[in-house]
Amino acid sequence: MESKGKGGSYLLSLEGIRELFDRLREKYRVIAPKLKDGLIAFSEVDNFESLPFGYKNVEAPGFYTLERSGGYFTYTHPYNSFKNFLHPPELALIKVKKEKGKLSFQVHIQEETLCLFDIRACDLSALRVLDLVFLHKNPHPDPYYAGLRKGLFVVAVNCTYATFTCFCSTMGTGPEVKEGYDLLITELSEGFLVEVGSERGGEILEKIENKSDAERRHFKEKAQRLRETEAMMRVHFEREGLPERLYGKMDSTYWEHIEKRCVACTSCTQACPTCFCFDILERNNLELDESLRVRVWDSCFSPSFATVHRFNLRQSVHSRYRQWLMHKFAYWVDQFDCFGCVGCGRCITWCPVGIDIREEVRRIAYA
Amino acid sequence: MPTLENPYLLKAGRVEKVIKECEGVYTFHVKTQEPAYPGQYNMLYAFGVGEAPITIASMGEGYIVHTVRAVGDVTRHIDQLREGDYLYWRGPYGNRWEIERAYNKTLLIISGGLGLAATRWVFEEALNKPIKRLVHLYGSKDYDSLLYRYLYENWSSKAEFYITLDRPDPRWKGKVGLITELLKELELDEDTIVFTCGPDPMVKACVRILQEKGIPQNNIYASLERHMKCSVGTCGHCMIGPYFVCKDGPIFRYDLIREYFERKEV
Repeated sequence: MESKGKGGSYLLSLEGIRELFDRLREKYRVIAPKLKDGLIAFSEVDNFESLPFGYKNVEAPGFYTLERSGGYFTYTHPYNSFKNFLHPPELALIKVKKEKGKLSFQVHIQEETLCLFDIRACDLSALRVLDLVFLHKNPHPDPYYAGLRKGLFVVAVNCTYATFTCFCSTMGTGPEVKEGYDLLITELSEGFLVEVGSERGGEILEKIENKSDAERRHFKEKAQRLRETEAMMRVHFEREGLPERLYGKMDSTYWEHIEKRCVACTSCTQACPTCFCFDILERNNLELDESLRVRVWDSCFSPSFATVHRFNLRQSVHSRYRQWLMHKFAYWVDQFDCFGCVGCGRCITWCPVGIDIREEVRRIAYA
Repeated sequence: MPTLENPYLLKAGRVEKVIKECEGVYTFHVKTQEPAYPGQYNMLYAFGVGEAPITIASMGEGYIVHTVRAVGDVTRHIDQLREGDYLYWRGPYGNRWEIERAYNKTLLIISGGLGLAATRWVFEEALNKPIKRLVHLYGSKDYDSLLYRYLYENWSSKAEFYITLDRPDPRWKGKVGLITELLKELELDEDTIVFTCGPDPMVKACVRILQEKGIPQNNIYASLERHMKCSVGTCGHCMIGPYFVCKDGPIFRYDLIREYFERKEV
């Protein structure tokens, strides 16, 4: 785990991190964690003071609270994910106008210069997953996602703490950030280790005055901190061979046990950073001469999701739960060569009845 | 990054001809130069209402043919279009019938109800291909819902085209009974290639009979119908097991989807 950054590595003080943040603010719309309604939420952030320093999130199945902590990046990830910004809950696709019986179309593809400041290993993996879904493994790459994604600057942070619902180590996506960042921060006892992952990451860091070259002991401490974080998480199931095991359990009666608890509220799919399903709605004006085609998040738990000729193919809640779990841990591997779950644990925390997907996978695949 | 083609952009084409097939079912000839293959579908758009995936029933010189049954909000609007109106759509999407597999063999096409619209084009193609024997079974609910009556004479003169009605009718002198009865009577080679489109229960029942006749499942292709919103594999609605019907289908080799297709609520 004792690795050196690709393009240099430095030790920065808190002031140095603040300077970095301010410089990024000049060029980008910065999306970062922020205290909001008693939660840590990914939001657009204007000033460095908004970062939820001195807090940590305490999570358990169906439970979330914040506590005071003694450090800076001491929380894990926001309750919502970067998905809200790259695949927004609501996005206009086309404005259709009707004039003298003929239609005309206006397309507005938004191009953003976004910076994700403080994204963790699980979410960074989820970003790679969504890239595959919308761009790289799709015969029709999505221009709307591409527009928002284009030029994205990524400042990743290594987790030095894990909540009870975190299981990135089980899914092999964390806690260490290994790729896909422009800059990577690890909070250490002496300051902040900043590693450069791209040329533009190096360029921005060059301008920061208060920095010193990172030394061997800093990487040792980083490795130690990541080991400690990993030790906070139990290993819940074996990832290898999991899809095959699940394919063999599609007729298990255990799915029906889940139905007794699952209320099909769709909360898990909204909180999940990789759930991409959407619906397309028509939003018409009163004069009926203008109609906006809008893409909105949808969920495989919704009762109309698999409707064909007004008949829902997945009538039972257990069949919808099976669809969700099988998609994340089996179908996804066939579709995109990776798991659809990155182990962020949001679905566990935000399930109103506390269904723990780790337990369900374990019971279905390994019982 | 180069500018990506927008898969949600709609195209326009003038409706050149409207044929009333039966009550609530219309066939439209729509002007377009867009290339397509038998088996593919378009997302037809009704202003302010939405889209519906509709198979391309045929293609002529400079036009495509769509047969639409007014069953939902979108299709009810599309069926109101008349000659000279514009139809808006995006596509074509999806894969095609692998007609080459049937060269020098028997090709059996089985269509149920509106499923005939999904098999019509490939059947017309097959008439001009090196197919050893071409058989088409078409099952319709009743006499009044028969599609493409004006084509039967031509089809029957060139291939074995058999129709059966679920319900008897004094106007009907032909076969009455389920399509499965018609299929049972048919003598087929074991290397027959089968293309089928119809309601899920019909497809399942036909596959069972074909199996009894010794036709392997990897010789059978079914065109599936699922809820599609995006048609490009990103909205998730049409998933069946690990497949997206919109882009991996709508036509599937039966042995590949059997497990998901025959299992309840997948």
